[in-house]
Amino acid sequence: LEHGFALHAAAKDCFSSLASQDAQTLPEKPRAVFYTSESDPAKHTGHHEGRHYSIPLEELKVVFPQGLPPRFQQQIKTFNEAFVMVRKPALELFTYLKSSNFAHPAVRYVIYGEKGTGKTMTLCHVVHFCARQGWLVLHVPDAHLWVKNCKELLQSSYNKDRLDQPLEASSWLKNFKTSNERFLKEIKTQKKYVWGKQESTEEGRPLGEVVEQGLTRVKNASDAVGVVLRELKQQSQLGSFRLLVAVDGVNALWGRTTLKKEDKSPVSPEELTLVYNLRKMMRNDWNGGAIVTTLSQTGSLFKPSSAYLPQELLGKEGFDALDPFVPIPVPNYSPREFESCYSYYLDRKWLQHEKAHTEDGKEELRVPGG
Amino acid sequence: MAAVSGVAQARAGCRAGLTRYCRRVVLAPFFGSAAYSSVPAVNSREGQQTEGSARRRGRTPQSVRAHIPPRTERMAVDQDWSSVYPTAATFKPGSVPLPVRMGYPVKRGVPPAKEGNLELMKIPNFLHLTPPAIKKHCAALKDFCTEWPSALDSDEKCEQHFPIEIETIDYISSGTSIRNPKARVVTLRVKLSNLNLDDHAKKKLIKLVGERYCKDTDMLTITTDRCPLRRQNYDYGIHLLTVLYHESWKTETWESEKAEEDMEEYIWENSRSQKNALDTLIRIKASENVSNVTKEELLASEVVKDYRNSVVALKNEGETENNMSRYKESVKKLLNIQVSL
Repeated sequence: LEHGFALHAAAKDCFSSLASQDAQTLPEKPRAVFYTSESDPAKHTGHHEGRHYSIPLEELKVVFPQGLPPRFQQQIKTFNEAFVMVRKPALELFTYLKSSNFAHPAVRYVIYGEKGTGKTMTLCHVVHFCARQGWLVLHVPDAHLWVKNCKELLQSSYNKDRLDQPLEASSWLKNFKTSNERFLKEIKTQKKYVWGKQESTEEGRPLGEVVEQGLTRVKNASDAVGVVLRELKQQSQLGSFRLLVAVDGVNALWGRTTLKKEDKSPVSPEELTLVYNLRKMMRNDWNGGAIVTTLSQTGSLFKPSSAYLPQELLGKEGFDALDPFVPIPVPNYSPREFESCYSYYLDRKWLQHEKAHTEDGKEELRVPGG
Repeated sequence: MAAVSGVAQARAGCRAGLTRYCRRVVLAPFFGSAAYSSVPAVNSREGQQTEGSARRRGRTPQSVRAHIPPRTERMAVDQDWSSVYPTAATFKPGSVPLPVRMGYPVKRGVPPAKEGNLELMKIPNFLHLTPPAIKKHCAALKDFCTEWPSALDSDEKCEQHFPIEIETIDYISSGTSIRNPKARVVTLRVKLSNLNLDDHAKKKLIKLVGERYCKDTDMLTITTDRCPLRRQNYDYGIHLLTVLYHESWKTETWESEKAEEDMEEYIWENSRSQKNALDTLIRIKASENVSNVTKEELLASEVVKDYRNSVVALKNEGETENNMSRYKESVKKLLNIQVSL
């Protein structure tokens, strides 16, 4: 994706005029090279490697209210369709998830790789797979958003040492509700939660009520998130549903924040309610699901731009907290994957330069900067 | 002024028709500059006239002087070079018979030649230190030296018998005083493998000396210059080495408080990683309803040993492709992730 966009950002204007033509012209090349009609990720095998599969746009809105990389979202808007490439790291994760034993503690998978290689897209592919399989997906699109640029920090009413982030919590609850509507009706709370003097949620009420409480009373949103996480963790062990915890940029949980308290002293991550509760989710003291995370340097704080290995980004604390995890490296496009992406863009008429069809143009696209 | 007016008279006498030009030439402030800079278009006859008059006064301008060839053309091939450059001196193009070129090339040309080449003059040269010259120096110094012991014919033998190397520098300069304050500096170098240290003593010594130890060469370097005399500094250096050695063998009571951050290398036993691994394994076993497995049994099992080795390698050697794939395999085995295709 990187190569195409970097070269042809300016060509977007001329493309929009061709968009109408695009719908009418039929693709001339055989599409089998880069396209597969198998839209269920569960059936993707090594045979499909390198090919793009499409996600229907309605499903996209439900499964991914948040979490797709911004460039991919732009591409979806431009092409009016969502095509994701099937790649080896994702297929590997599918085999692990399919054969995982849900009585054992949840296994943690950490996707790592250099910038722009496709870690977030791999995570989204896994989220789509689990959503299709009927799992409950707890998707945190970018944990970095929780440790920086927070406009409002409130002192938590539950624990005086911690700080609440109402805006971030409420936006996450909204998106969580969109993707997991049916589960919120089925899962019942196991404890009574008291929100204020007159507000409380009784035992046995559907979890959707807790989410509503968080959305209406924004002050309690962070605590609502904590309650949701706690309930899901406890109940996934009962076996009625499978839980996937997907966190992008998990290294934010153990790094530093740029937030400051009122007396200008820096806030450490564990003082934030959201981060504290999410860290508890990352432990493998529950079973009945899996934890798939991504490391991300873009958006990380106080980390050099060349850092991409797990220990560099997680630090000692993070590594010890996630250990033992299964590291999944994501490399750059292989020649075959590049061919596929190139043919896809040519087919979509995205590559507008005259020389793009030639061998030289292809070489130039493949190796940026010669 | 008297000289100038004398010239004017002489010229006026020679060429009456050109008096106008002559006067202009004469009024120029410097005789030398008048000849070729202030009146460039003047006929060559004029120039020759002025020079002729000047020669009469005994000065030879450079352009007319008979061109004496430089010394290089009279040098024999087998001459004694150490007499041409006996000491360090600037580069003299006329004394060095080499067609050296140095500097940034002229446009569509080559680097400038050695004549009048400031670049060659600026840099230090070692023309006074050719091998025959050094041979002569050694021959002259030989009278002041003793024989090298024949038994010490290799570096390893020297290191084995004399593990401590002392380095001192003597300074000579042409001046009124033979003293130089820099001459009191003494440097002691020793390899720690030659000292009798056990594991704890070695770690403690390295912590005590800090930056003076180089891990790659295993060399401890102590530089002393706090005393005014060289002998005193040497004694102090030896004293420091002795004290370090003895102190590192002692174990203080507060050393038992050494924390994980102070450790030089990663030790897996009693680390967070071990705790995590054991907890996970106990939970896995509990889920399979296996009866209480003891910690020792788990620690002794193959998978845990494999996992331990991979984590230690990862932490101590850093992350490489190899290390990461080893870690991945060991975690998969530990957590019993079987891939059913």
